[in-house]
Amino acid sequence: MKNFKGSLFYLGLLVFLVFAMLAFTGCGGEDAVDEPDGVDTDDEVPGESVLRVALQTNPNTIEPATGDTRTASNVAWSIFNSLVWLNDEGVVVPSLAESWEISDDGLVYTFKLREDVVFHNGYPFTADDVVFTWERGQGSDITYREDFLAIAEMVKTDDYTVEARLDAPNAFILLLMNEHWGILSQQYHEEVGEEGYLQNPVGTGPFKFVEWRAGDRIVLEAFEDYWEEGYPKVDRVIYRPIPDTSTRFAALVNDDIDIVSNLGPEQADAVVAADGVSLVTYGQDRVYYVTFNNMSTGIGTPIEDKLVRQAMSYAIDYDAIIDRLFDGYAERVSGFIIPGNLGHDPSVTPYPYDPDKARELLADAGYPDGFAIEMAGPSETYTNFEQVLQAVAGYWAEIGIDVDLQFMESGMFWDLQANRELTPLFGDSWSSSTGEAYPRLIGSVGGEDASYAAWLDPVLVDMVKEVEMTADSIERAEVYTRILKYMFEDPPFIYLYAPTAFEAINDRVKNYNPRISEQYYLKGVSVE
Amino acid sequence: MRYLLSKLLYSIALLLGVLFLVFLLLHITGDPVSLMVSRHATPADIEALREELGFNRPLLVQFGDFLTSAIQGDFGNSFRYRQPAMDLVIQRIPATIELASVALLMAILMGVTIGILGGSNPNTILDSIARGIGLLGQTIPTFWLGLILIIIFSLNLGWFPSFGRETFTFLGLTLPNKSIILPAFALSLFTTGQLARFTRSAVMEVMNEDYVTTARSKGLKKKRIYFNYILKNSAIPLISIIGVQFSYLLSGSIYIETIFSWPGLGNLLAEAVSTRDFFLVQATAFFTSLVVIGLQFFTDLIYALVDPRIRYR
Repeated sequence: MKNFKGSLFYLGLLVFLVFAMLAFTGCGGEDAVDEPDGVDTDDEVPGESVLRVALQTNPNTIEPATGDTRTASNVAWSIFNSLVWLNDEGVVVPSLAESWEISDDGLVYTFKLREDVVFHNGYPFTADDVVFTWERGQGSDITYREDFLAIAEMVKTDDYTVEARLDAPNAFILLLMNEHWGILSQQYHEEVGEEGYLQNPVGTGPFKFVEWRAGDRIVLEAFEDYWEEGYPKVDRVIYRPIPDTSTRFAALVNDDIDIVSNLGPEQADAVVAADGVSLVTYGQDRVYYVTFNNMSTGIGTPIEDKLVRQAMSYAIDYDAIIDRLFDGYAERVSGFIIPGNLGHDPSVTPYPYDPDKARELLADAGYPDGFAIEMAGPSETYTNFEQVLQAVAGYWAEIGIDVDLQFMESGMFWDLQANRELTPLFGDSWSSSTGEAYPRLIGSVGGEDASYAAWLDPVLVDMVKEVEMTADSIERAEVYTRILKYMFEDPPFIYLYAPTAFEAINDRVKNYNPRISEQYYLKGVSVE
Repeated sequence: MRYLLSKLLYSIALLLGVLFLVFLLLHITGDPVSLMVSRHATPADIEALREELGFNRPLLVQFGDFLTSAIQGDFGNSFRYRQPAMDLVIQRIPATIELASVALLMAILMGVTIGILGGSNPNTILDSIARGIGLLGQTIPTFWLGLILIIIFSLNLGWFPSFGRETFTFLGLTLPNKSIILPAFALSLFTTGQLARFTRSAVMEVMNEDYVTTARSKGLKKKRIYFNYILKNSAIPLISIIGVQFSYLLSGSIYIETIFSWPGLGNLLAEAVSTRDFFLVQATAFFTSLVVIGLQFFTDLIYALVDPRIRYR
């Protein structure tokens, strides 16, 4: 037993070492507060209100024109302002422009700028910065350059007035500006260059940039000279990227984080059950669909027949798919213009599940025994989407349509889609972030130039063009409603569902209002 | 000398092979261009960008290009981050080294202890427990374990933060605080199991050696036999295992880093792969394979130095 004693000695040493390490690391954490040179943003300063926000992905940049995800632009809009802002009610209101006028022909927008605005580094905001932002936005490396190219010319008429000139009327100019036009300081950009600007961004927004530790955190603090009276409501914002959904949930419940987004339905019930946190849900502005392809491989197949497409729409038990694959957390949609979008008409109700009617229509179209067709989908790209497409194929098999379903890696899938080499049917999704269905429509049925389009219908192309030309939002709503009805009657797509977004907040957080586009602004959010 | 040279050449060939494989796997599935353009882009725009970035050239030419600039230290720019890929990798290295080091330390302390306890008391209950822990450590899926640890030690006990790397400054160094304990523990468990099993069999083998029996029969003190004869001789094969395990820890932490949101290389690699950020994937793969192959090389060297029987002429 002497050996055993020797090992006990070793074990004692081990225990001692582990405790020493724990003590060392533990105490170290507390010492840091007293460290004069401690770059320690981890510890909260007493009396300071801090908002801790979880991010699903790492932003590539935190500047609105180059940030390539919704996550990135959400951070960016804490730092930047545009000339206009789409408020929580969906109305375009003044921001850095205090007013604007639109010429009668709709070709010239004259913006009168605020004169009391400064950038975070103290540089004044003038018309030069607006013109510069427009020029820089057209660079080939700018992710959203289309939004800047939409304006043919940007002219400074005096220090606080600019004129945006268009080649053709465009109903969306103000919405585009709200999306990606974060106004940059020309003077600062000249000093630090593009790369320097992106690494140390300076804007006019409610929060100023403090620190970005790669993969770890982005720290912002309230901008004391912010032009909008009474904002922001917290002293500091700390964004933490947490890629894993379960960890995001744990961080919220553990009070390490105040706001989490992109939770799954499996966490929703757990959030409801947990103390001190609340669930925030809303339908996302994204439509999942199966498209019919009459621009390439689908030419000459039965799907060119309207009755066949209607039959296929009737053949699917959408509610069962939503119940079984999403625990009921998704909305049926009747088209690409969904509830919450301008021009949505609730009288157009989604296709019901009616297999008998489907068989009847199929027989009317001349295919009583069905037919065989190919369908493709991206793998591991959207939640449960493979299972959805498998279910869809199963329902079609029941009315005699034999679907050869193939999944491919998403990059390859989108390559083939852009090259118009995909199958006669394929599943995908399309989102919109403007509150209107226009981006979805122009991209998918906008005509030959739209590279991801698979369906060509000249009537539809003209109607989508009409949307673009109609500046008045009430008239535009009517056009949208016409499109909704047309696309329901003669469906270019199988409209599957719009997903539900799950977010959760600590109960201390007040006034957090994410939008259906998964956009949120933190300037009005407070912590009690 | 010849031994050293052949090992070195072998290491370089291996590194090239790994890089080529990574390159091939990335390009076989298409290129990132379709993800880089907006959905309003026309097919002509996409082709133009492909041309500009050189993705329309033959694969071997692209690989040759990559190697030529990589030798000069240029690994290309990350598409997403608009920064040199190697800079992004270097930013993440400290976090991964910290995690791997603490995990290795934990694994050595736990694994070797368990192994010695089991090995020096063969076929007792203690031994069974030690073997059980060894087996468990190697078979528990790390991502599952990570979540369980978060639930127990963060949510229920509240001892540790649930994610992330919190730091403090000590003597001008930025070091992680207790936030490293959970991820390091989760990461260390596989190695712990490996070391426990290995130490156990090494100790058992040495205990039956003639020189130990001789020492015993001469009436040497048990403690002396234990430390001078048994442990010392069991340690030799352990060195190579520890070297291999350290390289494993440095490269194999994708799951752990993602679950604990630890800002290291694994986290970066997972993100780069999912966004098809080719140059970033290649730079990360280069660095991790360099570390793994390099450590293997040095382990071989140390092994040769420690064990006088290894001499290649």
